[in-house]
Amino acid sequence: MNWLRTVRAELRKLTSTKMPLGFLIVFVVIGAATAIAVAFGTDMDGSKTFISTAADQQSLMAFAGNAFVIAGLFGAIAVAREYGHGTVVLTFLITPRRPQAVLAQYASVFVGGSVLGLVAAGVSAGSVAAGLTATDFGFMVSAADLAQVLAASTLAGGAGAVLGAGVGAFVRNTGGAVTGTILLLVILPPLAVQMVNETATWVPSILANVVSGIDNVVGMGAAIVAIGIWALVPAAIGLVAVTRRDVV
Amino acid sequence: MAVKKLSDQETLPNARSHPISIEHVTKSYGSDVVVDDLSFTVTPGRVTGFLGPNGAGKSTTMKILLGLASPTSGQATIGGLAYGELANPTGTVGASVESDAFHPGRSGRNHLRILADATDTPLERVDEVLELVELSAAANRHAGAYSLGMKQRLGLAAALLCDPPVLVLDEPGNGLDPQGIRTLRNLLRTRAADGNTVFVSSHLLGEVEQLADDIVVINQGRLVTQGSLAEMRQSASLVRAASPEALRVALEGAGGVVESRQPGALVVRDLSLDEIGEQAFRAGIALHELSRHTDSLEDRFFAWTGDATSGVTESNTKEEL
Repeated sequence: MNWLRTVRAELRKLTSTKMPLGFLIVFVVIGAATAIAVAFGTDMDGSKTFISTAADQQSLMAFAGNAFVIAGLFGAIAVAREYGHGTVVLTFLITPRRPQAVLAQYASVFVGGSVLGLVAAGVSAGSVAAGLTATDFGFMVSAADLAQVLAASTLAGGAGAVLGAGVGAFVRNTGGAVTGTILLLVILPPLAVQMVNETATWVPSILANVVSGIDNVVGMGAAIVAIGIWALVPAAIGLVAVTRRDVV
Repeated sequence: MAVKKLSDQETLPNARSHPISIEHVTKSYGSDVVVDDLSFTVTPGRVTGFLGPNGAGKSTTMKILLGLASPTSGQATIGGLAYGELANPTGTVGASVESDAFHPGRSGRNHLRILADATDTPLERVDEVLELVELSAAANRHAGAYSLGMKQRLGLAAALLCDPPVLVLDEPGNGLDPQGIRTLRNLLRTRAADGNTVFVSSHLLGEVEQLADDIVVINQGRLVTQGSLAEMRQSASLVRAASPEALRVALEGAGGVVESRQPGALVVRDLSLDEIGEQAFRAGIALHELSRHTDSLEDRFFAWTGDATSGVTESNTKEEL
């Protein structure tokens, strides 16, 4: 019960500033750009084949890869700012057993990141649907595939947020945590693929595509486990660091 | 100013059962010893001021007490338990160790609501403590727009939220206006009078002089002195003599600690009035005055901490005295 109270407090932290609104605005901007692209964009040959099939449309609205990165930034900022603003002192005064406090932070950003991922995928799907009304093509994605896109983005959002939170807990500086998260999710994966080609299957963007149903280079279960590992390794490192360090 | 009790909160432990004990605490960062074999106690029912120059180790000691930093050796306990071992930490100890530990985009009220959520405190209590620290009018403003004094009040409100029997406050008077300082003083004295433990660090010596019953003075991480402030201030004698230097030699020879003050005047410690009179008589020195002397805390502080007090700005001390 104490832990659940701590999670509730952490959730209130997330919802009592304008940070979620900022991320929502980002999604709306991305959604607007998607809708414009669907409505007015063309392929190189001037056709609109990029929206001509259900698979094409599903691919356009799949947001899990982006959700992983954006929710990663959300988690990184949410946790690192605790150290920057000193509010982590109160967190640890209320919950002196730091693993409990940190796990409550992770749980809250997982919930927050999942909601962001779901909302982002919803905005993305809505944007594609809205853009299609200005074309000759109808909305062809099935309800099941749409549900998979939403579920994949929800999962990726939660996992990305936990990954970012781990980086934030380890780095303790908002700028550094954002940089670290971008390094981990955006810059390092392509470099790793360049060096070891076999890693391409396991980078977050590919895994996100798998769980979104637009790629099948690995099985669904393996992709979900791999996403979990991407989130949990930084989270575990952050947890150990917080447990061992003084609050200064 | 009475502190309102929570009507539906579980019964607090006996308020008088929470002395603070610092036992041989040492804290090192590499080769830098910040706190060095520090030992003292803080007694319930009294306000204890924690004094020392900037960098003396006060904040580090408080963070060790609150489990925010680990001691290299020794232990710090509250009611015999380390902070992390307390069954109900925030119900036992109210602490404010960072004057600006707020998210600037979060309102003061929401800041306290978060604490209330985490401690299962009724939300009505948030409004009670906001009123107690006279911050109700600004409760819905972002904390980032608060003045330093308002931030101090918010920190105090957070410390009082669970109505704990122990208060640990780091520099709570910084930035407060005279009215705020008076409110703080009355609040802390009332809580101590109710049997609670009140431990307050400060470098505003004039404020401590008016607030504290006991003081603990540290310098360079080591204990300089601890005890009743009144006794410490009155433990000296003032002597005026025709030959003050000769008298100084005689008194120091008898074990006294002698300071020269105004021309011809000596402040003597560790010798009684009778002993001073006898030493003067033996040395054949005529005395013009021999009386009990009450030092200001500032005088005593500089005597205790010597040249190392460069970290305490004179403006800070003189402003308050």
